[in-house]
Amino acid sequence: MFIEKLKEAVRKILPEVDVVIGYRQGFDPLHATPYFLDKPEQVDQLIWNPLCVQNLCSYIPFLKGKVGVIVKGCDSRAIVQYMQEKLITRENIKVIGVPCLRVISVKKVMAAINQQTVQEVTFEGDNIIVKIPEGPKTIPSADVAPRKCATCQLATPLQYDVLAGEAIQSNKPQDTFEETKEFEKLSLEERRAYWEKEFDRCIRCYACRNACPMCICQDKCIAESRDPHWTSQRANVTEKAMFHMIHGLHLAGRCISCEECERVCPMDIPVAKIKKKISMDLKELFGYEAGMNPDDTPPMYTFKVEEATIEEHEI
Amino acid sequence: MRVGVFICHCGNNIAGTVEVAKVAEAARMMPGVAFATTYMYTCSEPGQEEIKEAIKREKLDRVVVAACSPRMHEVTFRRTVEKTGLNRYFFEMANIREHCSWIGEDKELNTNKAIEAIKLAVEKAKQNKPLFPAKFKINKRVLVIGGGVAGMQAALDCADGGLDVVLVEKSPSVGGMMARLDKTFPTVDCSICILGPKMVDVSQHEKINLYAYSEIEEIKGYVGNYQIKIRKKATYVDWSKCTGCGACIEKCPSRNAFDYFNFGVAPARAINIPFPQAIPKKAKIDAQFCRQFIKGKCGVCAKFCPVGAINYEMKDEIVTEDVGAIIVASGYGLIDLDKLPEYGGGRYPDVISGIQYERILNASGPTSGHIERPSDHAEPKTIVFVSCAGSRDKSIGIPYCSNFCCMYIAKQAILTKDHIPDSRSYVFYMDIRSPGKGYDEFTRRAQEEYGVQYIRGRVSRIYPKGKKMIVKGADTLLGTQVEIEADLVVLATAVTATTDARTLAEKLHISYDPHGFYVESHPKLRPVETNTSGVFLAGACQGPKDIPASVGQGSAAAAKVLSIFSKDTLESDPQIARVNTNICVGCRKCIGTCPFGAIEEQQLRDGRIIANVIETVCAGCGICNSTCPCGAIQLQHFTDNQLLAEVNALCLT
Ligand SMILES: Cc1cc2nc3c(=O)[nH]c(=O)nc-3n(C[C@H](O)[C@H](O)[C@H](O)COP(=O)(O)OP(=O)(O)OC[C@H]3O[C@@H](n4cnc5c(N)ncnc54)[C@H](O)[C@@H]3O)c2cc1C
Ligand code: SF4
Ligand code: SF4
Ligand code: SF4
Ligand code: SF4
Repeated sequence: MFIEKLKEAVRKILPEVDVVIGYRQGFDPLHATPYFLDKPEQVDQLIWNPLCVQNLCSYIPFLKGKVGVIVKGCDSRAIVQYMQEKLITRENIKVIGVPCLRVISVKKVMAAINQQTVQEVTFEGDNIIVKIPEGPKTIPSADVAPRKCATCQLATPLQYDVLAGEAIQSNKPQDTFEETKEFEKLSLEERRAYWEKEFDRCIRCYACRNACPMCICQDKCIAESRDPHWTSQRANVTEKAMFHMIHGLHLAGRCISCEECERVCPMDIPVAKIKKKISMDLKELFGYEAGMNPDDTPPMYTFKVEEATIEEHEI
Repeated sequence: MRVGVFICHCGNNIAGTVEVAKVAEAARMMPGVAFATTYMYTCSEPGQEEIKEAIKREKLDRVVVAACSPRMHEVTFRRTVEKTGLNRYFFEMANIREHCSWIGEDKELNTNKAIEAIKLAVEKAKQNKPLFPAKFKINKRVLVIGGGVAGMQAALDCADGGLDVVLVEKSPSVGGMMARLDKTFPTVDCSICILGPKMVDVSQHEKINLYAYSEIEEIKGYVGNYQIKIRKKATYVDWSKCTGCGACIEKCPSRNAFDYFNFGVAPARAINIPFPQAIPKKAKIDAQFCRQFIKGKCGVCAKFCPVGAINYEMKDEIVTEDVGAIIVASGYGLIDLDKLPEYGGGRYPDVISGIQYERILNASGPTSGHIERPSDHAEPKTIVFVSCAGSRDKSIGIPYCSNFCCMYIAKQAILTKDHIPDSRSYVFYMDIRSPGKGYDEFTRRAQEEYGVQYIRGRVSRIYPKGKKMIVKGADTLLGTQVEIEADLVVLATAVTATTDARTLAEKLHISYDPHGFYVESHPKLRPVETNTSGVFLAGACQGPKDIPASVGQGSAAAAKVLSIFSKDTLESDPQIARVNTNICVGCRKCIGTCPFGAIEEQQLRDGRIIANVIETVCAGCGICNSTCPCGAIQLQHFTDNQLLAEVNALCLT
């Protein structure tokens, strides 16, 4: 059983670190929740299944001491990006890598079962079987996987100290930013109308920001500050849009496309779309993808008189 | 808060297209404005008095002057305001001339725009905080980069003024281009005879420390306190031993080295001394031509050197010097002949450049001053000079005039007649540019006394025919085609920036124009200053110029340095970045983007690591400000909130 391998890896690492971050079952069988453990007897509470979606790396920059963390391929880009930005000391982090081909979106499952109470969840082959009051419902995992899994290239994490299980290769096509390009074909007015409608729902709960592994300012975020006073607390679309533009731009060349922001949004606002557009531009302009190589320098966080990849205008 | 607004007519410059009275009226309505008035010339003495009186009478605590660009008069008004006891950063300037009256003719639109500009300035002024400069000690030593005539003049003037001078020259000898010239216009006196004594002075002056064959590796610091790393390139000859006797050169078997000093007119040896009067007169090996380096065996020079100075193992050496100011006098370059294929440049040996001809004319040059053409060493009888060879030619990216070619062509034509009385010289020109003192008389003498044939027109083609070069061109005055059978063709190749001008500029943090020439702080009023305080310009690195102009600038730059060094301390500009320790999350992004390396990590008592700006290094560029995600690092006097106040004034009201 895979979970036994994972537990063994955690047991082995536990004496070397102050805390290990993993997953255990949440308030119902459909929800996995982060679990911080520091005693061997806690290890048995750990779970591993496609519902373990949350990127646990987000906690690392804020923890002192040595930390062990369970990391999927997509999550591992956060580790790499932290390394690029010198936000962690890699030696202090023990990465327990887990191979992964697909996770499952709780929101999509809930939609598929019409928001009914979940009594039990099991996995069989490529299906998830959810037991609801009216009986078990079998849903193909691919139908309820988050968008990012369809083009995921990182079945095995980029960084790990121990790998639970065998390294595997991704079998997905590359992301070609089709959705973004389609969206860009809309007129300015259409795009504005789209975003005004979406942002209008935003309640500025900042869940998107808090979940983002790269939003390291947290309570110092300028969305809530008076000095500097970039946004006010007024509840109009302009101010909400301003916050989202700031969030997007602060992630230019840093967003690792984990799409945690969108996953956690209680109002179902497609906020990852903004970041995706910026990631696409950064890739085109600088040939850069965040969180891929620890030796890269994020293009927005260095000073060059001339950019190698951008043609200067003649004066 | 009581803001006073002073609107300047600037004679008719502003009042001509802006209704200043209406602007004042609107200003009076702005929140916080206690007083607004107009004045004919606010920068004049009575104008400044009026500001001072109004501050006292109206109890103003912020002042806005709506006039010209702050570039010129911001300092003036800051001083005025300060004299009344207000902090000088409580002053703001609205540019309603360059940004307004000068660029539009519609009076109503201009007036509205002026009102808006003032609205921004008033809002900014209300947000301004008092700032106080710090004082720091000056290191009264000066670095001069480039030992051409401009750099040497600057070095000598500084040294005579009592300053320690570090002179860094890239080539093995000082002298620059002037050391290569035969005679100089318009007096036709021997170039090295007037330059030589200066070169000797440079080498003997106890206040001048010369690093020849050296380059600037790195520049750190700021006006008053620079740390310079200098790369002393390996010469493979121990200069403390070398006497310049030349025994090594005579015996060197590698006889086909490129002669940089003579622009390849004749071959040199792999070990060489550039010219007889070189300072320092020391030998160096060009490793790419030396058999010891190419084949791993030879050692002839080492064998023949009577003092054992040869050292094939020598490595580049880095030395550090601390200085307080820098004069850049790195001179110019010339375009390669092969950039001029229509003139046969680079293809035919008898099509040469002006500087090569200068070497041929020179008594200490490779031909000992006998004019002979490269192909068969015959004495040429018909010589054609082509001016503007590359200059004023947009198609090759050189739209500017090279400044001194018209003059040196006349000089070279005169000298040719002196050397070969039965010769004939022709000059193809676009127009003759000779505005200097005695210059026009000089070019006229070439034509009238020396019979030089000036043909106004462009050369279309140059090609060989037997032993002759056929020069085809137009005579636009006669409206005919001309064809001259020449023995030698001299092209006045265009002046360019030096190949490493841009790299050096980046090390110095000074700007350069699209052609690589350094940009002065003001084309008329600050011709030798740069926008980086403590860095000055002299000579042709700023743009093509002849010897008198280069020397003048050398002295001017020296005077500037002496004037800033006349004080013992300097005031630092408080408009620098500062970190709010409560906000900084220690993400270090600012450290990565600061182009000046002005930000370091700092550990707080609670163990948090945050950013800290080194006050004296920060140049106030503001890049960190736009990098910082949480706005912890703010450029003083240009904080986010100050700028947002302006944006809000413009967009929200
Ligand atoms: C063919 C010809 C004939 C001329 N005849 C006359 C004449 O008769 N009369 C007249 O007034 N003018 C004449 N001139 C113009 C004259 O050469 C220039 O006005 C003069 O040389 C400019 O002096 P400078 O010191 O600014 O530059 P340069 O003479 O170019 O000296 C610059 C010095 O800086 C050094 N240098 C360059 N880069 C660096 C670096 N990165 N670090 C350190 N050192 C560096 C160079 O090696 C050089 O020694 C003539 C020019 C030409 C081409
Ligand atoms: S912006 Fe969204 S997708 Fe990007 S790293 Fe943050 S949470 Fe992940
Ligand atoms: S999580 Fe959703 S609702 Fe909350 S701030 Fe982000 S976008 Fe707005
Ligand atoms: S303003 Fe910021 S980026 Fe610019 S020099 Fe100062 S510290 Fe560096
Ligand atoms: S960018 Fe801002 S938050 Fe980050 S270290 Fe610099 S000052 Fe601090």
